[in-house]
Amino acid sequence: MMDEKMIEEIIREVLKEMKGSGVAVKENPVEKGARNFNPKSDYPIGEKRKDLIKTSTGKSLDDITLEQVMKGSIGADDFRITAETLLLQAQVAEAAGRTQLAGNLRRAAELTKVPDERILEIYTALRPYRSSKQELLDIAEELDKKYNASVCAALVREAADVYEKRKRLKGME
Amino acid sequence: MMTSEALVEEVVNEVLKRLQGKTQVSPTPANAGKSVYIGFEEIGEAKAGIKQDEVVVGISPAFGIKFKENIVGIPLSEILREVLAGIAEEGLSPRLIRVKHTADVAFIAHTAAKLSGSGVGIGIQSRGTTVIHQKDLQPLNNLELFPQCPVLNLDTYREIGKNAARYAKGESPTPVPVQNDQMARPKFQAKAAVMHNFETSYVTPGAKPVELKVSFGRGGN
Amino acid sequence: MKSKRFQTLAERPVNKDGFVAEWPEVGLIAIGSPNDPKPSIKIQNGKIVEMDGKLREDFDMIERFIADYAIDIEAAEKAMAMDSVEIARMLVDINIPREKVLEISKGLTPAKIVDVIDKMNILEIMMAMQKMRARKRPGNQCHVTNVRDNPVLIAADAAEGALRGFDEEETTVGITRYAPFNALALLIGAQTGRGGVLTQCALEEAFELTIGMRGLTSYAETISVYGTEQVFVDGDDTPWSKAFLASAYASRGLKMRFTSGTGSEVQMGYAEGKSMLYLEAKCVLITKAAGVQGLQNGSISCIGVPGAVPSGIRVVAGENLITMMLDLEVASGNDQTFSHSDIRRTARLMPQLLAGTDLIFSGYSAVPNYDNMFAGSNFDIEDVDDYLAVQRDLMVDGGLRPVTEEEVVAVRNKAAKALQAVFKKLGLPPITDEEVEAATLANGSRDMPARDVNEDLKAATEMMQRRITGLDVVRALAESGYTDVAQNVLNMLKQRIAGDYLHTSAVLDKAFKIDSAVNNPNDYKGPGTGYRLSPERWQEIKDIPQALKPESFNTEEGA
Repeated sequence: MMDEKMIEEIIREVLKEMKGSGVAVKENPVEKGARNFNPKSDYPIGEKRKDLIKTSTGKSLDDITLEQVMKGSIGADDFRITAETLLLQAQVAEAAGRTQLAGNLRRAAELTKVPDERILEIYTALRPYRSSKQELLDIAEELDKKYNASVCAALVREAADVYEKRKRLKGME
Repeated sequence: MMTSEALVEEVVNEVLKRLQGKTQVSPTPANAGKSVYIGFEEIGEAKAGIKQDEVVVGISPAFGIKFKENIVGIPLSEILREVLAGIAEEGLSPRLIRVKHTADVAFIAHTAAKLSGSGVGIGIQSRGTTVIHQKDLQPLNNLELFPQCPVLNLDTYREIGKNAARYAKGESPTPVPVQNDQMARPKFQAKAAVMHNFETSYVTPGAKPVELKVSFGRGGN
Repeated sequence: MKSKRFQTLAERPVNKDGFVAEWPEVGLIAIGSPNDPKPSIKIQNGKIVEMDGKLREDFDMIERFIADYAIDIEAAEKAMAMDSVEIARMLVDINIPREKVLEISKGLTPAKIVDVIDKMNILEIMMAMQKMRARKRPGNQCHVTNVRDNPVLIAADAAEGALRGFDEEETTVGITRYAPFNALALLIGAQTGRGGVLTQCALEEAFELTIGMRGLTSYAETISVYGTEQVFVDGDDTPWSKAFLASAYASRGLKMRFTSGTGSEVQMGYAEGKSMLYLEAKCVLITKAAGVQGLQNGSISCIGVPGAVPSGIRVVAGENLITMMLDLEVASGNDQTFSHSDIRRTARLMPQLLAGTDLIFSGYSAVPNYDNMFAGSNFDIEDVDDYLAVQRDLMVDGGLRPVTEEEVVAVRNKAAKALQAVFKKLGLPPITDEEVEAATLANGSRDMPARDVNEDLKAATEMMQRRITGLDVVRALAESGYTDVAQNVLNMLKQRIAGDYLHTSAVLDKAFKIDSAVNNPNDYKGPGTGYRLSPERWQEIKDIPQALKPESFNTEEGA
């Protein structure tokens, strides 16, 4: 059986391995919040640790019923995963040895705060020949400052650098 | 109203009259026994159009140069003639360009759409794959896509030209019926790959699209 | 000189297939191009400075992405120093568990991975697949489309597909603007047939994400990656845009996998003279690097290319194995018309069916191939009784179950009616009773009355502008009396709140319980271990309606 300390140690080790990597991660304080969470035995979280899951409006999974939907008390926002939940899932991925998947889930946690339209715009801006270097750096700045999405910002900054080297910026086709 | 046949005839004659003697004409093998010549004259960098009644047709780098027939042997001259005539039949002006920087049909069509005064363009590859595009769409999106070149016939190409023109007029035409032959892949995909590798060998990275004048010839050699 | 023997052979289906000789200069070769690099790795200060004979400063964007994010540096030096034959033997050795192999395979470069695969024959590749598949239970996915994008028929076929046992269902469009209707019809049909079936609609990347965000689909798969930079860019993306897209999906609680496959680079004209498998190994590593849980590969839409060259189908099984070796979910192809020959298309299926993969087909055409808008699948609905017989003959779980005509007709009718009701509630163009009746009994779109396509397209576009979401669908279903279907659609939407199905190889059973590589990992270690048919599942597979039973003779005719 794994105890909490062991898990923390594993996480720390994984984090160490991933240090300096733009796609990867930095430690997030939210992850420490979930007490007694065992990323190996508490999966599926929606079955075994319902207490840890809240919708973006603060409801629990059991609050989302057909009855409540028909009463009109459930909105589209109730189906949005939260950053906290994604960070728990990142721990599950790490405990299963899936470092890169955990990194992706952590980037996703950052993006929960970015509106749908803006996500689509940023994705499009990252496609080849769409953006100048400055435009990409501005997006990185926005992610960093406005959404506190530092890992995603690092990814975009790295893209700006790579696109410049590989001539994939706007006007280079 | 003129019949479509008469209009095509007139368009072809008019084009021929203007271009007589001007271009280098390369013969294509007679197949359907109709037009067998196709000639292109490059008349400089293709500019963005301002006329709202035009549809720009983009052809791929090796179209009519390395290849004179599509994947199933339909002469490219006839394919092009049908597309241009389809546009004209709807009362719009076709404008022809050659895209040189890519052999990808979606990007060829998107390039054509971006240069088109109406914002609507068509892209055609040597193997016959065709896309109708609109300048505001993502490059890999489209108005209509005809991915299975082996099942496209000349009537389909005419309809593609007509529908592109209808989009350009702001209409919402019924899409050209989608052809579907599930056995085209096992039969033709490897051949398509071979053709496309020849096609990409004609790509010039960074080259701008060029405006073309085209001439079609009739009869024997 | 005209041989009647050769005349007869020339007319056989196999001779309608296209075969080509290898052309290594452009990459028309399955494995072992003379231009493929030799495996190598050099690490300095925690960075890979040389990979497969290329220095870091010469890396293209794909190589940089792989070197920085896919390859485990801690594992790399030991793994790369091993003989490829030794690694290949580990893959087939029943005494070495999957986790031990992963410790090695996570440190391999693309060229080394290909070298390992090249040491294995097809049977060894299959043995390795049986062990290396991430989830214990094999599964299956189907395509539900039709040539007219008829939504009523999609709903009915989706319901039948779910009843037949598919874990996932995928649709796409003939006409892009039909997409919202296709996604909606698939969702309602699937949840009518069996709660918990995952659904997706293959579209251009940005549009596909939008539809997912609205709750009309539950996962995405057609997020394509390629093995050369030029083709990647022609695919209108980069590893960085795709990695961002992957996070975007997860940020909305949506499962996703990437798609790649041998032959795509040469098909798109820029294989740089490299073999198909070498480039595919790069695609799998890009997927791993982006942190995506899984990959659809097995040549996919380019199967005519590896299918036309020597050893191509062995290599296609090899690319599935690479995906498993990198601890990713694999949706293993078999999803495109491959051959005119029934013998060849069956042989092409055997490695994935017999070894078992997360999704053996990606997908099996749940409609007649003439209606398959992915340009046809290797197997279609008209082959389904053959497929069920093969499961029974070989005692193998291909993911499907026998069904009766009565239950199929009933579930098709219910799905068509549920869609009719939802269209009415949402103010979409009416579905007539005649259409419901036709969809209930149809084999394909040829059996359906025509719809007003322009009205549909206009309404589908408006549906997006009106921001109709999955929640509106739940309400419309419940208000129309389809409470059970409404509950199932609601349960699908709830999946994205907890995000448990974001993990590797996750699918849902009919009770909406997660079955993934995390809570049900593959523990194969030889006979008596790993996935075995349960008595209940075997009973289900055995019981095809066509089988004569002793009781059959108790009737008057049988006497």
